[in-house]
Amino acid sequence: MNPEWNRRHFLYRSLVGAGGLALMDLLNSDLRAAASTNPLARKAPHHAAKAKSCIFLTMLGGVAQMDTFDPKPALEKFDNTVLDWSNEKRTDQPDLYAKPRLIFRSPWKFSRYGKCGMDVSELFPNLATCVDEMTFVKTITGENGNHPAATFLMNTGLVLPGRPSVGAWVTYGLGTLNQNLPGFVVLPDYRALPFSGSQQWGAGFLPASYQGTMMQWKGDPINDLLPSGGLSRKDMQDQMSLLREYNHAYLDGNFTNPDLQGRIDAYELAFRMQSEVPGVLNVAGEDETTRKMYGIDDEVTRSFGTRCLMARQLVEKGTRFVQLYTPSQSWDSHTDILKGHAKNAKEVDLPIAGLIKDLRRRNLLDSTLIVWMGEFGRTPDHPADLRDKAGRDHNTKAMTMFFAGGGAKPGVTVGATDELGWKAVDKVFRMRDVHATILHLMGLNDMRLMHYHAGRNMRLTDTGGEVIRDAVA
Amino acid sequence: MIRTGILGAILAVTPVWAAPEDTVFRDRIEPILKANCTACHSGPQAQAGLSVANLADLLKGGKRGPAISPGRSSQSLLVQFVKGEKNPRMPVGGKPLQDGLVAALASAIDSMKPIKQAVAANDHANWVFSAPVAPKVPDPNQAAWVRNPIDAFVLTKLEAKGFTPAPFASKRALLRRIYFDLIGLPPTEEESRSFLDDETPDAYEKLVDKLLADRHYGERWARHWLDLVRFAESDGFAIDGERPTAWRYRDYVIRAFNDDKSYDIFVQEQLAGDEMQRRPAVRGGQIENEGLLALGFLRMGPFERDANFDAQLRLDWLNEMTGTTTQVFLGLTVGCARCHDHKYDPIPQKDFYRMQAFFAATRIDERPMPFLEAEGRLAMRQTLRRLEDELETAGERLKGIEKDLRAKLAASKQTDDKKAEANNLQRVLADKDNRTLTAEERTLHQGAAERVQKITLEMARFQPIAYSVNEVAPPAVLEIEPTHVLAGGERSAKMAAVEPGFPQRITGNSEAAKIPFAGRYRSGRRQALAEWLVSPANPLTARVMVNRIWQHHFGEGLVRTPSDFGMNGERPSHPELLDWLATQFVEKKWSVKAMHRLMLTSNTYRQSTRHPDAKTIGESDPDNRLLSRMNWLRIESEVLRDSILALSGGLNHEAGGPGMFFRVKDEVAQGFQMFKWYPSDEKAQLRRSIYAFQRRSLSMPLMEVFDAANMSESCSRRSVTTVAPQALTLLNGELTALESKRFAARVVELAGADPGRQIVKAFSLALLREPSSGELQAARALYEGRSPEGALTRLSTVLFNLNEFLYLE
Repeated sequence: MNPEWNRRHFLYRSLVGAGGLALMDLLNSDLRAAASTNPLARKAPHHAAKAKSCIFLTMLGGVAQMDTFDPKPALEKFDNTVLDWSNEKRTDQPDLYAKPRLIFRSPWKFSRYGKCGMDVSELFPNLATCVDEMTFVKTITGENGNHPAATFLMNTGLVLPGRPSVGAWVTYGLGTLNQNLPGFVVLPDYRALPFSGSQQWGAGFLPASYQGTMMQWKGDPINDLLPSGGLSRKDMQDQMSLLREYNHAYLDGNFTNPDLQGRIDAYELAFRMQSEVPGVLNVAGEDETTRKMYGIDDEVTRSFGTRCLMARQLVEKGTRFVQLYTPSQSWDSHTDILKGHAKNAKEVDLPIAGLIKDLRRRNLLDSTLIVWMGEFGRTPDHPADLRDKAGRDHNTKAMTMFFAGGGAKPGVTVGATDELGWKAVDKVFRMRDVHATILHLMGLNDMRLMHYHAGRNMRLTDTGGEVIRDAVA
Repeated sequence: MIRTGILGAILAVTPVWAAPEDTVFRDRIEPILKANCTACHSGPQAQAGLSVANLADLLKGGKRGPAISPGRSSQSLLVQFVKGEKNPRMPVGGKPLQDGLVAALASAIDSMKPIKQAVAANDHANWVFSAPVAPKVPDPNQAAWVRNPIDAFVLTKLEAKGFTPAPFASKRALLRRIYFDLIGLPPTEEESRSFLDDETPDAYEKLVDKLLADRHYGERWARHWLDLVRFAESDGFAIDGERPTAWRYRDYVIRAFNDDKSYDIFVQEQLAGDEMQRRPAVRGGQIENEGLLALGFLRMGPFERDANFDAQLRLDWLNEMTGTTTQVFLGLTVGCARCHDHKYDPIPQKDFYRMQAFFAATRIDERPMPFLEAEGRLAMRQTLRRLEDELETAGERLKGIEKDLRAKLAASKQTDDKKAEANNLQRVLADKDNRTLTAEERTLHQGAAERVQKITLEMARFQPIAYSVNEVAPPAVLEIEPTHVLAGGERSAKMAAVEPGFPQRITGNSEAAKIPFAGRYRSGRRQALAEWLVSPANPLTARVMVNRIWQHHFGEGLVRTPSDFGMNGERPSHPELLDWLATQFVEKKWSVKAMHRLMLTSNTYRQSTRHPDAKTIGESDPDNRLLSRMNWLRIESEVLRDSILALSGGLNHEAGGPGMFFRVKDEVAQGFQMFKWYPSDEKAQLRRSIYAFQRRSLSMPLMEVFDAANMSESCSRRSVTTVAPQALTLLNGELTALESKRFAARVVELAGADPGRQIVKAFSLALLREPSSGELQAARALYEGRSPEGALTRLSTVLFNLNEFLYLE
């Protein structure tokens, strides 16, 4: 329960109730007038698509594919032996590979699940029950083995800061479905924000309207949603109506500035958000069964679970793109992967399974694309001197990711890695191919989604990505 | 009839179309276009500015020129693009058109009657790449309206369209406009009165001069430059490490504007401040060499050291520097030619690397540089000394606490190795589950440790260091690192070696640049580049800068793509005016203030934002490119914040020095792992926004929502968006809450107890006018059931959120 939210919810319900219908009427007519100038107005997709919303689950730090969804029996055979690195001169982490290294078998057992018979390790017992809804791609490759650069690549298609993120592009291309809520919401983990903070969900050179709005799962969900210093209901109401009156009077004769009306609309939207948002993000109002599905009441799963539940509530209400983050570098198990991956998997396994099942039972899974990935995969081996606390290092040559729902082809696996899970070898994809696929599933063509900037048309996939056809239903 | 838009100049002859061509279009071309092209090439957001909705649109064409050339299918862009003869092949992202369809299109175009076109596709390039020559100032009919030559150029264009200029703005509107424009702060009551009451004919000119001499002018205009040079005080990327003395570059820019440093010197200092032969002449100010500080320009991009990627990192740095330099000073997107020949401009790939070669001997360096008088040399030294003392005390305290804690740890274990246990302090502290230490002890230790860290961080900001660059040249090395053209921009794909050289389309040859100033330990290359940039041979530098100045005064540049004057940029609305201004700029010894004076005292600038014929004019000139009235301007995020603080009386006017750290919400601050964020004291937090510490991964919420530059790359033009989070921040944020209260108290103090007088005072301070009777009455209603301060606080919040407050008429 969150009594604070409930109190606020009540407050704002009554606030809207009081000014009442006349206000809503006024708003509607204003909205109609402003519809053509609203940058977040719903836009037609390039082609018909099932997915209306996307939930991007970001596993920061990089998940070890050979310990989760890409079993490698050969690791057992070669465990504790030396991998021949002589052919890997072009590695981007020369220092790391200069030292002696040992292959490391996965500490977790794999079993087959579902009708599709997908391999899942013990780390994800709950997700294992959803594999018939999931689409695995085991061959995503990156360009840079550093966390920030790789995270920028995953989010924006370029290893440098400053470009628009996937969420911004999608919102730019499609607008959003509920004008009372932000179109692109980011739900980070406050224990450790992603590197470079808001630049990871920035709008880059796109108009600021498309940048992600960070929401919090504790306290006020949106920055400054409610007045600092706590005003009474009457204070807020009086302020708003006076502002409205003055601003309307000022419109007179000033039609050469269309933004005046735009700003009036923005205030009305903000006013509606104040009432709508606490209601939408009302975790306390969910029934016991649902809370259990997401693990809301368990200390370990509460953070990710609450945010998964918020994501569902948001897409249910028409938010276009929601991105969740695990704590920065949480999956980055260079040492003691046994402890690290176990902890991280436990925090997200139940909530993600809960999200998939909850969306399914609400008939929302087909219209919601879930994307699960980190910034890169991990190596099959580790430096020899760390044998007693073995971990795995960064690996841009192979990563496993999955889609669920939203028109992805359920129960299939695309691509294969080599014997050790070190390199993608069959059907190799790049990050921009993932982006092209996300856009495609959302009804957008990555070559047509462009914005003119700095002398040329820019795209999320630059010169174009390849849609991962085998992953599309 | 064909609408003459931006690209109207391309069609010298406006053809009037007879029916047959229209029929050909409707029957044979339109169906193909509708099925394949219309989705992207229609409506207000048509790609590349090309609409294929009707024949006139095709003839008008887009950015690349007319889409079809009647009677000549092989010369028609439409055909060239669908055939894949031009890149990208159309339709982009779709299947190539079947051969049959392409042939049908071609034969339809061939069947059309050719029109005589004085097509001048190269006109723009010819203009851009040749030096401006002062054009003759035209003689418009309504000569009485012309106050200076700017007006003659503007009026002539208006008259050609049959338009008249707008009436003059009211004195009050002009007062707000000029204050926000030049110093970014509202006038005080006395300042307003002295201007509004001044009946002398040159009252306005005197005000312009007064504001140009105000030190707040530099603080306002430096911000425009800092946007352009992607100024920030941290590295970006993961660690986002601090650049503790980067603020000295910011202050250098503020001084440059305040002192009216000649722009040619300003350019040279930023590229070659360490190599310059000529000592900079500083107007008015003391003559000090600031070159090392100015070089900070070259280092302002995101950059993070990483031993694993040294070679790539250096290449990225050189690329970034080359791209930013050409964008900022030349207004050309030379960066596009890094991987391939420029797709739109006559800039071969080789030119990118020839330009990059000017930086081949440059390396990053933190160079010792004593504080200047202008930087408060003495105060800096005193502060550093005070911090050293504080550090000593704090260090002693921390040591004492740690000693006690070690003793406790040693006593807690019944082992023989007490010493080892005592040395485990850091490990025990890091392990939050370890119960050997109490919560109080942990807090005590953390407080003391943070104090040490805070002082250490602060000391770094007061070091006499320039965040700068240096040279690696013979005899320190055998030769300057050769520059190669890189295929696809890939470091490993080295092709021919190149010498430093200027873009060949400008110089007319591809010879290596002459490097007259090479010497021992210095390549002289950057200086050669800098001198060329400001030489008479360079057609762009002056044009680009006057256009930027114009842009900030009028809301849009004469070229609306201020960092892209190339083929893909927008065509100038008034090329002759731009050239005239550019030549004036050079003639007036590159004085930026002279340019301000010229523009601000024109009648063009003094127009109202309203026009009696606005509706009619709007139909043919919707974007007000012809300047038949003044553009509406919304005050930027920094100006907004500073103005609210100025009105409330809270603003701290302290100038210069290390930046201030604003308060961050606790939950946000906890998420920072790589750096600690210690907010400055309350008073420092009330400094002007330009003095806020610029961390790439963290900006003030108000700056973030109100379109401040994002610091990752050069920002030549801020977007002006209108979104709901702006309303939330400005209505509900901490700034508004605190300053509304402060403003209310100030109003009570100034106006006394009478509500009517209070409301009048609040209006006159915030909006420079009295309230109407309706407004007065509405505001009075706030007093019911509230204290006067309470009512005024609500009123202040409303005033700070008004459209009238945010927009300049």
